Amino acid sequence: MTEHLLLRHRDIPNIDQLDIYQQHGGFDAFRKAVTTMQPDAVIDLVKASGLRGRGGAGFPTGMKWAFTDKKNWPHYVVCNADESEPGTFKDREIMERNPFQFLEGVMITAYAVQANLAYVYLRGEFWQIASQLDRQIAELEAAGILGDKLFGADYSLRLRTHLGAGAYICGEETAMLESIEGKLGQPRLRPPFPPSFGLFGKPTVVNNVETLTNVPLIVARGAEWYRSFGTDKSPGVKVFSLSGCINRPGNYELPLGATFRELIVGRGLGVPFGHKIKAIMPAGASSSLIVATDEALNTPMDYESVPKVGAQLGSASVIVIDDSVDIRWLLDKTLHFFKHESCGKCTPCREGTYWMSHLAERIASDHAAQAEVDLLYSVASQIKGKCLCALGEFSIEAVLSGIERFKEDFVS
Amino acid sequence: MLKELGRGMWTTLRSMFEKPVTIEYPEVKRPVRARFKGRHELKRYDNGLEKCIGCSLCAAACPADAIFVEAAENTDEVRFSPGERYASTYEINMLRCIFCGYCEDACPTEAIVLGDNYELSFTDRRQAIYPKEMLLEPVRGEGKTTPQKTEPGEFIRSIPLMENPKD
Amino acid sequence: MTKLVSLTIDGKQVTVPEGTLFVDAAKRVGIDIPVFCYHPKMEPVGMCRMCLVDVGRPMIDRATGQPVMDENGAPKIQFGAKLDTACTTPVSEGMVVIGASDKVKAARKDIVEFILTSHPLDCPVCDKGGECPLQNLTMAYGPGETRFLYDDKLHLAKQVPLGELIYLDRERCIQCGRCVRFQDEIVDDPVIGFFNRGRSLEIVTHSDPGFDSVFSGNTTDICPVGALTTADFRFGARPWELKSTSSICSQCPVGCNITFNVRREAASGGKTVIKRVMPRQNETVNEIWICDKGRFGYHYTESDDRLTTPLIRKNGELTPASWDEALGLVASRFSAAGEGLLTLGSGRLSNEDLFNLRQLTEGVKGKAALYTHMAGGDLTAQVGVAPGTDFGEMGKGTAILVAASDLYEEAPIWFLRIKQAAERGATLIVANARPTKLEAYASHVIRYRYGAEAETIAAMTVDRGPTTVAGHPSSVADASKAFAEAENAVILFGSDGLGLEGSQALSAACANLLVATRHVGRANNGLVGVWSRANDQGAWDMGLRPLTVDRRPELQSAKAIYVVAADPFGDDPGLLATFNLQPATFLVVQDLFLTETARRADVVLPAQAFTEREGAYTSGERRVQRFYPAAPARPDTWPDFAITAQIAQKMGSILEGRVPAAVFTQIAATVAAYAGLSYRKLAETNDQWPSVGSGVRRKGLYFSGTAYENKQGVGIHLPLSPTPLPPVNMQSFHLQGEGLLAVPVTCLYDRGQTVYPSALLHQRIGEVWVALHPADAERLGVVANSRVSLTLGGAEFDATARLDESVPQGVALIPRSMGIPINGPEAVEIRAGERVVL
Repeated sequence: MTEHLLLRHRDIPNIDQLDIYQQHGGFDAFRKAVTTMQPDAVIDLVKASGLRGRGGAGFPTGMKWAFTDKKNWPHYVVCNADESEPGTFKDREIMERNPFQFLEGVMITAYAVQANLAYVYLRGEFWQIASQLDRQIAELEAAGILGDKLFGADYSLRLRTHLGAGAYICGEETAMLESIEGKLGQPRLRPPFPPSFGLFGKPTVVNNVETLTNVPLIVARGAEWYRSFGTDKSPGVKVFSLSGCINRPGNYELPLGATFRELIVGRGLGVPFGHKIKAIMPAGASSSLIVATDEALNTPMDYESVPKVGAQLGSASVIVIDDSVDIRWLLDKTLHFFKHESCGKCTPCREGTYWMSHLAERIASDHAAQAEVDLLYSVASQIKGKCLCALGEFSIEAVLSGIERFKEDFVS
Repeated sequence: MLKELGRGMWTTLRSMFEKPVTIEYPEVKRPVRARFKGRHELKRYDNGLEKCIGCSLCAAACPADAIFVEAAENTDEVRFSPGERYASTYEINMLRCIFCGYCEDACPTEAIVLGDNYELSFTDRRQAIYPKEMLLEPVRGEGKTTPQKTEPGEFIRSIPLMENPKD
Repeated sequence: MTKLVSLTIDGKQVTVPEGTLFVDAAKRVGIDIPVFCYHPKMEPVGMCRMCLVDVGRPMIDRATGQPVMDENGAPKIQFGAKLDTACTTPVSEGMVVIGASDKVKAARKDIVEFILTSHPLDCPVCDKGGECPLQNLTMAYGPGETRFLYDDKLHLAKQVPLGELIYLDRERCIQCGRCVRFQDEIVDDPVIGFFNRGRSLEIVTHSDPGFDSVFSGNTTDICPVGALTTADFRFGARPWELKSTSSICSQCPVGCNITFNVRREAASGGKTVIKRVMPRQNETVNEIWICDKGRFGYHYTESDDRLTTPLIRKNGELTPASWDEALGLVASRFSAAGEGLLTLGSGRLSNEDLFNLRQLTEGVKGKAALYTHMAGGDLTAQVGVAPGTDFGEMGKGTAILVAASDLYEEAPIWFLRIKQAAERGATLIVANARPTKLEAYASHVIRYRYGAEAETIAAMTVDRGPTTVAGHPSSVADASKAFAEAENAVILFGSDGLGLEGSQALSAACANLLVATRHVGRANNGLVGVWSRANDQGAWDMGLRPLTVDRRPELQSAKAIYVVAADPFGDDPGLLATFNLQPATFLVVQDLFLTETARRADVVLPAQAFTEREGAYTSGERRVQRFYPAAPARPDTWPDFAITAQIAQKMGSILEGRVPAAVFTQIAATVAAYAGLSYRKLAETNDQWPSVGSGVRRKGLYFSGTAYENKQGVGIHLPLSPTPLPPVNMQSFHLQGEGLLAVPVTCLYDRGQTVYPSALLHQRIGEVWVALHPADAERLGVVANSRVSLTLGGAEFDATARLDESVPQGVALIPRSMGIPINGPEAVEIRAGERVVL
């Protein structure tokens, strides 16, 4: 077993204590960045590392930072800790157990884009993590790692946590910004994108918890070292949240490019009670259903390979579905979730998820004719490509793939 | 010549035993056909509430501009029809009406129906304007007349809940 | 100069300024892209997804940066994988937009189907039915039938009062957010908002009282469905049954263009009555907005208390009489009075009425006066805003000084337009003795003490004065510098805390400032009076002048007084004593109601309301605008100009009394500024942008079905009087006495005769109040919202005390026309009354 990069608490006990974290090189990277590196050099380093956003879209992180409008000040950094995707629980473990590495990541990012204020936006249910982070931020301030004129350099930084009120949509970056501004959590029209028009109308970098947790190690150990993990186009390691019909669910840190089989069989020890794997949802509820063929199981989990089997890697919350599960039931659950979480701003998502949820409920309870399955498929296709943000677009992934790839489940 | 005369007499004699085609109106009335379009009636639901919601679509459809409708708002205390809107004034000018039945077609609640009554006569032009009281059908069975006092929330929609076709 | 770009929309070539949105670009070439949430007056949000179009951009070779050409040498166009929203995408060079392809048609059909899944489709009972964008777009683009199961339909509340004026039907709402955005962006009264999420998203009000905005009625106009309705028009009529008449709002000097929708009504005994008031588009005056006072205040014209017959005092009682008898009596007494005839007309009258009044009076060498508490109409005619002025164009480079006016209360649409000009970059200077709502958008705030209005503005001319206001760290010097250096500058002066004398000084100071800074004689430069009545400016133009102190002898020597559309005794019961009026003075009152003055009159003549007749008003910006008869006149009443003409006829002189157009022709021939004008010219319209129109002709599929169209005239801006402006002598004006000073302020909803008969507004009008600073209140032993009694000008009044920290200490604000007569600042005594237990 090689060392964990993100889930370092599994190797080092009590790394959630500031002194322990510092004994293991904690905040050296931040100090190094602030005292010896130009902000652009940090951005270039992260660009060189090939780090991509772990929130789902896989956008190159360094490139995003470089997009911040340098003519418009101040800049903000917002860390997306809203982690609401069903089946995703990686950020929670990182923030609970390895908080300082995460915070250091936020701080380096803030330095890289010269933001003096960074927010950590947590979902409402994470209130205990928020208060823990608040304590740890206070510790950092007391230790002189956060505050004014850091390490003697002309750079000041403050961190704030901000709790949402429990809305999935606030994980969408612009809705999150609205929420921080005190408005109703509804996504904004894009473009303009946050790096040019973000929080309070100012350039803002929004990154996921896991993404930022990678940053201290990249700064400390270099881009080349980081590129030694993962694949060429998807370098680095990834925390995979494994759940569903599996013997050992949990978070597993693997290099990108590890196959589904390695994760599901190698780490999760396969499905229980002698069932067979039927389908895989690699990105939580927002994901298409992959038919668990041998070919699919041997697919490397990286941003390029997963689309080849008809899905997206997304936040890599792998939900395993065995042959005891009726896909109709699965769709009903998924759609109920999306209906409940749709913000209501754009028509197709507001009305479409409502409609689909009703249809799926009827289909799942075996009261529907084939015509209604066709209707569900048609409504889902009708939503496709028309929504304001990704929530609506993702709500149909499971429906379309489920009906296309698991026809036999829909024959009543 | 005599032959012609005889034929004529025979025709007369024969018709004396035929059933007459005339009837003794008004003592005897001929039943009208199913699709006869006579004087309008404003229908009620079984509970007595008026079907008419005062939407004025009949007036809009009327080619003779014979209908005048004015709407007002129902309350649960004073309720004429289900939903929010009812016709506070409903008048048909029978001199203008051409009994085309477009009003029936336009009616979203099947409130106005052309009935069987064709005995429309007036001695004054003003009498030709039939107000709502004359047009409304009488309350049947269990129903109560309008306005009614109803339970809050019971009749919030103008068009009663429809059912999906069952088949 | 904005860059122009060319693009192709459905095969048509368009050239529009860079940054234009597709919907607007398409509209320019007559292509309607269907929209629900988009509104040309607001920022796009792209929520409804109805405006999806296929957008292709020229392919650019990454290596060379040049467009890729196809075999024919035309640029290769690359279409996106998804459709784009036309309302949020700005045009760019060479774009190709397809709005008529099968893909786009299918997408629109899909969106309409989605919207209709949760819509109740109760068009037969919906007030919007017939002019409903959703109805129109469903007919044009919808699927015809739904696949949605009726059982799954949501059933929501049908009658949710957002306030007492506006009702929400939650089922009909399609969550387009136009109303919320209107309140946030356009008027900045964010009193309504969205609540909850998903299918439960609903509109709620945050204010108490609900929907507390004077612009609330506009949300019902822009609502693309029947979700928002006014309490006034709910179930009033179907839109296609309504006849439209163009008119001009007579509530304030803005001169908003409005449309009266009328219909025969059984409830009124078969009479044709006004069913609703809608804004009429005039982009240089009110765009497509009106305030709630204009929308709901018209009910006075339909009041049962209207005068319907002439009255003559016989044996001390006013008794009905024939017109002939009344006019004969009036004519003989007026002839007898000769020079002793004093005519008092108000700005509620049209230009034609005022012209005839003056003709009649001067025919016998009498004196015609304007009944007002504001001066300066002669100055606005000389240094007013020149033709071409448009608040909608003002922005960077323009300075706007608002002096002694609470525009939100005095002229809400000007508040709106000036706020928007400030947001576009205009330098807004607000000078007032107390904070007003407009200050939030001001770059300079000048605070003076009541009584120092003119002095303060005069100080701006000579660049001195260190007055600063907490929170606004700028001085009079900064403000005057900004004002002087601005390319264009406008001053709006009002009458907050001012009587006639104060107003005279203030208007002179404002005029001097404009002349001194050379902001005269050009468009978007000059002086605007925020008058208290719609046609005060016209009255000045017709030659009527207020009764200033030096003119008091005229009143005292009058043998006959002819009061038209004014209520001097109602406004000041002590007038009789003040002016030493003789009981023998013959008093004729010509009005709509039996006012306090009319009760004292010897003859009362019933006039027609502006809704029943034709005429022309001159707005505060000096735009002459024509209004048309909407409702039939009350039998046995005449328009004011005709009554005057008939009196004149009986006195032996001929005045035009048949049609107002003929009177207007005489005005054009006599009054220099009106030369060349005619009713025909006033009825001319021009192309306006955004182009709106009634949905019936499908012209309005673009964004609404509501009838904003202006077909009967946008009015004509008067040229400035060519007389060179003499240096105005500013009379110094000082307040007398000590103790608490009462100052009159204007509130939008008052108890005036042209407002109070609208029962709908009573909740907004509220109690008679007087506003005090808490410190003063404490000294007087007055608690908030308690009854107080006050002594003003020797008379006693009761009022509710409002405590407000924004009121300057030592001052009591008394609203005009609320029951406490106050004509100018004067000493007041306030005593705590019985406490009200709340």
